[in-house]
Amino acid sequence: MDQSSPFEDQLAALLPRLRRFAHSLSRDPADADDLTQATVERALRSKAQWEPGTRLDSWAYRIMRNLWIDTARARTRKNAREAPEEEGLSVGEDPRPGIEAAVDLHRVMSAMERLPDEQREVVALILVEGFGYREVSEMLGLPIGTVSSRLVRGRTALLAMVGEA
Amino acid sequence: MNDDEKFFAWIDGELEPAEAAEMQARVAADPKLSRLAEQHRALGAQLKGAFDPVATAPVPDRLHAALKPSAQVIDLVAARRARSMPALAQWAAMAATLAVGIFVGTRVAPGTDAPVQMQGSNLYAAAALNQALDTELASAPTGEVRIGITYRDSAGQICRTFVAPAGSGLACRSGSHWQMKGLFAAPEGQRGDYRMAAGMDPNLVALVDSTISGEALDEAGEKAARDKGWK
Repeated sequence: MDQSSPFEDQLAALLPRLRRFAHSLSRDPADADDLTQATVERALRSKAQWEPGTRLDSWAYRIMRNLWIDTARARTRKNAREAPEEEGLSVGEDPRPGIEAAVDLHRVMSAMERLPDEQREVVALILVEGFGYREVSEMLGLPIGTVSSRLVRGRTALLAMVGEA
Repeated sequence: MNDDEKFFAWIDGELEPAEAAEMQARVAADPKLSRLAEQHRALGAQLKGAFDPVATAPVPDRLHAALKPSAQVIDLVAARRARSMPALAQWAAMAATLAVGIFVGTRVAPGTDAPVQMQGSNLYAAAALNQALDTELASAPTGEVRIGITYRDSAGQICRTFVAPAGSGLACRSGSHWQMKGLFAAPEGQRGDYRMAAGMDPNLVALVDSTISGEALDEAGEKAARDKGWK
């Protein structure tokens, strides 16, 4: 069915970026790939809701973000029940070679994880994914001023955590 | 936008040219602000540096697999459209539908050469597929449908796997018909390729494994079974 392939092809082409976004939202690489997989599955099921001609990337990012928010409550409950996880306990499939790179990713992921969800998503979309303020405001359905103020708080907190570069 | 927001919007290139120039001058004149701008630029680079390699690393197989046609649910619109599709596309639509165990109740118009027919709540091979299952030997393929292996299931019925351009499947003898036990869409890009570079569909392999009793029939056994009418 040729008319269906552009959607799947475009989605496949987005996988690397979606994975990167998932990593900046998630606690560890395994969670990130679960989130990416759930996003792909949801996108395929919701295919009819995507309007051809509109940006597939924003649409797919929005799906991922909503899935992540949906699981946020469950995640919080789970974290509250469990003892704090030791660093290195959750061994995921780190996508990158090299110990230094893995340590670096782990460190930045932990710092991101300490941000409140609403700051983390804005930091991820703008500083990592490179979207503009306007695009993020549309994607998240937030006033641009809210995006901008969350970004200020998020990156200020991050700088304090990660330390002066 | 307050001053903080304006400062960061300037770093991010989000200010209008006039405002940007104004902020630039302000930062240049203030060592403290200059230092802060530097730190935040470095932080941005550090974030990119940590996450960007994820986007250039190979995507794990399971994510690509999630995009494969066999994992898809065909929507109703597509299933309806299948009625007016040429046989090949019909195969693909039905195969994708069945692969996830959902049959949406689309009836194939009678009189078409659709490879599968519904009777009651069961699906049976029809047309060219039925013909191939009835007469083809794995060793002597002739038509569009190729037979894979033939074996007896735990109930003693003859079962045969087959490959068609758009997909593969398993059918078992039921009375004088071939009842469909599984139908799996060929991966995108492999349609029309009988060789199936990657081998049998893993779903089909699993289905065979779970139903086969003893060994698959050899060439002589297959021929003998055919000559006895697949009893």
